[in-house]
Amino acid sequence: MKKLFVNTRYLIVPAMSVVTILGLLSGGNYVWTGVILFGLCAIIDTATKNIHLRADFDENGNSYGIKFFQYGVMYLMLIVFIALQLALAWKIYQYVNATPFDVVNAYGLAIQNGITTTNLIGAVISAGLWAGIGIIYGHELSHNKKEGFFISRLIMSLSGASHFTYAHVYQHHLDLAHEDDPATAPRGRNVYMHTWLSHAGQGKFSFELEKSRLKRQGKSFLSLDNRWILGYLYSLPSIILFVWAGGLFVGLAALLTLWLIANFELEALNYMGHYGLIREKGKPVEYRHSWDNDSVFTDWFFIAIGRQADHHVRGETYFWELDDVKGPNYGIGYFSLFLITLIPPLFRSYMKKHLDNWDSKYATEEERNIAKQYGY
Amino acid sequence: MFNIFKKKVLNFNVNLEPSNKEIVLKPGENLLTVALAQGIKWPHKCRVGSCGTCKCKVIEGKVKAEIDFSNVLSPEQIENGYALACKSSAKTNLKILINLL
Repeated sequence: MKKLFVNTRYLIVPAMSVVTILGLLSGGNYVWTGVILFGLCAIIDTATKNIHLRADFDENGNSYGIKFFQYGVMYLMLIVFIALQLALAWKIYQYVNATPFDVVNAYGLAIQNGITTTNLIGAVISAGLWAGIGIIYGHELSHNKKEGFFISRLIMSLSGASHFTYAHVYQHHLDLAHEDDPATAPRGRNVYMHTWLSHAGQGKFSFELEKSRLKRQGKSFLSLDNRWILGYLYSLPSIILFVWAGGLFVGLAALLTLWLIANFELEALNYMGHYGLIREKGKPVEYRHSWDNDSVFTDWFFIAIGRQADHHVRGETYFWELDDVKGPNYGIGYFSLFLITLIPPLFRSYMKKHLDNWDSKYATEEERNIAKQYGY
Repeated sequence: MFNIFKKKVLNFNVNLEPSNKEIVLKPGENLLTVALAQGIKWPHKCRVGSCGTCKCKVIEGKVKAEIDFSNVLSPEQIENGYALACKSSAKTNLKILINLL
């Protein structure tokens, strides 16, 4: 029973993503389902912020997690995210072709054909919010198994962010909490600026990494062996689909908006994970170099991606085995914190007490000196 | 009689040279994780296959690479049997060359 519970509690996103797709397919005001679910999650996350649970192990210290099942779900999520884009593309097709408004019954589902401009906006936001959540699978799969790495690339390319898989493993994990890591936000930077800088920095790193690898192997940069180029080619089917469905104006604008929302969520997670933390170059990554967000709903919804402290020290560990290691902890979940990051002055004010606490209780003398050099 | 339907779990013996230490890996278990859990001082840093600190040479047997090593190891190193312990599991019994701390 415990095993069943541990393995099914991480199915919140798969279930809600499917409901979002059904909302898009149903049409009418139901296209806003994804937005409403996202808001509902924020309320649940905030209401349960004080509940923090540990990872579950049996009396022999073995995890209850079933690797085959968890990986199966993560691989299947690629299909779910493709279906999400197909559903949105269908609504865009109806919009640009001015499909008449009527209701048809398909397999017991009342489908409202035709879509208003307002509802199209809702459909794009709904799809963008849930496409962005794909990061939690893209992230986990980037760390284990060669085929998982490839699926990670495909999931991230649906959001125009295939560079993430390489940059995350080969740069972020090495340069974490140092100025060389574009995914670590220095103190004072807001989430909007961070989104652009981190995205561009990681893209540049992926480019350089591939250039160096191909040179070492004596291969040309301009070839299909180039994984940096391939990553962008993986996004091509999405571009073709949306341009076909809605043309260069509506179709492409919708896809770019979806990518913008998804990438904003991705970078917001990076932002919250390490904001303002400092590490000396070359020194080991310790628990103190990440912020934990492990309140119960965040933990189950984001498949434990908030257990950053443990993840960055034991990077080979599966998400269901990550635990509370008493690293710096915001004490609230990602949804609650995400809402605070949207208002930069509020975020800076909220973070002051956390950073003061980090400086005095967690940082080494050298890290405190670096903080002073930057005028923190 | 139903025992024939039970999946046999084969463990793999890993011999570390030159320290002559032994560890046992279950299928799918991570080489570095098991070594560290047994108190073996294997050099390591990132534990995600990106820094190369846990690099070792497989003298006998085969490992399963859980990540592409080519971003960290040169083609010659891969050809000569080098692997990253933090992203390797055993496919057979192993003999590994690693200078422990």
